[in-house]
Amino acid sequence: MNFSVVTSQFWSLALQGLALGLIYALVSLGYTMVYGVLRLINFANSEVFMFGTFATLYIEVHFLGYDIGAPSLHGFKLVYTLAFALLASMLACAILAIIVELVAYRRLRARGANRLASLISAIGVSIFLLEGMRMITISRPMTTPRLLDKWSFGEFHGANFRIDTVLTIVAPIIIFVVLDQFVTRSRLGKSIRAVSMSEENSKLMGININRVITLTFCIGGLTTGAAAFLYTTVYENTIFNVGFNMGIAAFTAAVLGGIGNLRGAFFGGIALGMLEQFASAMLGSQWKAVTVFAVLVVVLLFKPNGLFGEAVQQTRT
Amino acid sequence: MNKKIVSGLAIAAAATLALGVVATSPASAAAKKSVTLAFQGPLTGGDAQLGQDQIPGAIYAIALYNAKNPAVKVELIKADSQCDGTVAANIAPGVAANKAVIGVIGTSCSGEARNSFPAYRAAGLTMIAPSASAVSLTDPKAPDRGFPIFHRVVAHDGFQAPALARYAAKGVTNPKYYVIDDMTTYGGPLAKGTLPTAKKLGTVVGTDSVAKGTADYTSVASKVKASGANVVIYGGYTTDAAKLFKALRDGGYTGILASGDGTNTSDFPGLAGKAAEGVRLTAADVPFDSILTKAQLAEFTKITGIKVPGLYSTTAFNATNIFLDCISQGKLTRSAIQLCVNSGTFKGVGGDVIKFNRYGDIIGGAPVGGYLVKDGVINYDAVA
Repeated sequence: MNFSVVTSQFWSLALQGLALGLIYALVSLGYTMVYGVLRLINFANSEVFMFGTFATLYIEVHFLGYDIGAPSLHGFKLVYTLAFALLASMLACAILAIIVELVAYRRLRARGANRLASLISAIGVSIFLLEGMRMITISRPMTTPRLLDKWSFGEFHGANFRIDTVLTIVAPIIIFVVLDQFVTRSRLGKSIRAVSMSEENSKLMGININRVITLTFCIGGLTTGAAAFLYTTVYENTIFNVGFNMGIAAFTAAVLGGIGNLRGAFFGGIALGMLEQFASAMLGSQWKAVTVFAVLVVVLLFKPNGLFGEAVQQTRT
Repeated sequence: MNKKIVSGLAIAAAATLALGVVATSPASAAAKKSVTLAFQGPLTGGDAQLGQDQIPGAIYAIALYNAKNPAVKVELIKADSQCDGTVAANIAPGVAANKAVIGVIGTSCSGEARNSFPAYRAAGLTMIAPSASAVSLTDPKAPDRGFPIFHRVVAHDGFQAPALARYAAKGVTNPKYYVIDDMTTYGGPLAKGTLPTAKKLGTVVGTDSVAKGTADYTSVASKVKASGANVVIYGGYTTDAAKLFKALRDGGYTGILASGDGTNTSDFPGLAGKAAEGVRLTAADVPFDSILTKAQLAEFTKITGIKVPGLYSTTAFNATNIFLDCISQGKLTRSAIQLCVNSGTFKGVGGDVIKFNRYGDIIGGAPVGGYLVKDGVINYDAVA
């Protein structure tokens, strides 16, 4: 066990853990939103993330024409390009998430199918997307150009506040605050919360259930798309199965925080990112997954509904 | 999220492919008009370049052989393992079931070799690997050895690992090594194999093992930076090496980056970008284009469509030629091929003599080359 690395690199590990955890948090929101209203895990969310990384790559390389060796951008052009890629990724993922809902969930729900049928159909869509991308890309990894030069704002006790790290921290926080306010204050947000509490009562109150569910998938797709953009911008690569590990991590974060709970997903993501970084530093990277799941089991032993979960889980703030 | 189901489908797909190979295979060996050799390695996936660099060597050798109008023509089938042991365990039985196949040029990766042994051993199918270099594959004491069917025309990592440690620190006074591996059959032992030489030449300030396929290497970069290392050695494959080296450079590490032949593929500079510049790589291979004459190189390009032969084209060419040599001697059954390969003496394209010891290694080993990435291209530098 290497404590000296943790003490000497504490702030650096914390900063990197926060950045990584916030990417997890954004994907985790996709899982938790859907679980909140449907009480089902959207297994296709990991492939929605994968799709977002390829959408970002497509926009940057093919649509905007920046090849792998393209020089980094600056000023307005940089802001415009990144904002465009972010919005395109979010939009692509939202559309895909809505299609997933229509294909894998809605018809089965309308026919009163067993809940497990929806679960299996979501897995089917997930495999379809995964294998489809595998065939399109012949399983090869792909890189994106470094449009954002990784300059630093400065260091604090060894923690390097690089532009991509700061972006990965600031953007998810803004997205989360907006989403939190939307769910808490807006009419549509209140509809989502109402459906999560009781579908039957919501129907009686005149809420269009299908519209709320589609909206929930759409929001999940938007946050997952944002995560995919940030991932591609920071790591500059993607591959057809990139969603697998991300899906595991985000789902774990959602369970750790309390699935069905927005704030739970958000802080669960951060906790997971931090835990991974410190476990890797202290015990060695080979112990990262073991440590994360050991901690998860211990947390669930004492807080069976996760850190922020309640006995009756709801999509609430 | 759906690993079990994906695995299940992969098995089903592999079985279908295997049946397809059987169903579409050319004339049977019994007809003695043509026989088939199989190339097994990654042709798709993150490590695909490793196989894609090698298979032209096999195609070229077979084309030259068939052009001589021999009594028995040779055909080549491809088995895509994706450098994944699980995939290999599924496709190897299909190749073994194809009666036309009398030899396997492969495997490219060590993990897939180990997982293919049960099927090929049961079928008596001889393997000659162009690049699977893990020591255990030919270690008589190792439980995962490939005896008696496995052979390789590449020096094993018992030669490469010390050479990698030497070449990584070449010109560095007081090298401080940080050694990282990808926890695979290949990467783990290769990285660990560098440690004795590293300790002789300098100090080892840290080690770490990060599973292949990890996305985020920032914590490793922090540890390396904190350790004060000036030489980082990575035992693993291209895709992850690119991610690790990028994270290290972005994290402020300015020392030497080095890796073995798993990273020495032509797509590495493209995947690692600027972080690839100056990276030191090793491989127990002599560049094919340095052996061929101009006319032969033009012929190679005409046949394969490849202008610059990739890494281990030479060993793939040699491995194929060993089979072709046996076939031209009239050895047309799996057992005859095995006897021929086990006991024969063959000539490599560079004029070297190839003879295998009892456990499948070439007698006398082979030199390990040092390669340097410059301006986005991997260039042969010197003997490592």
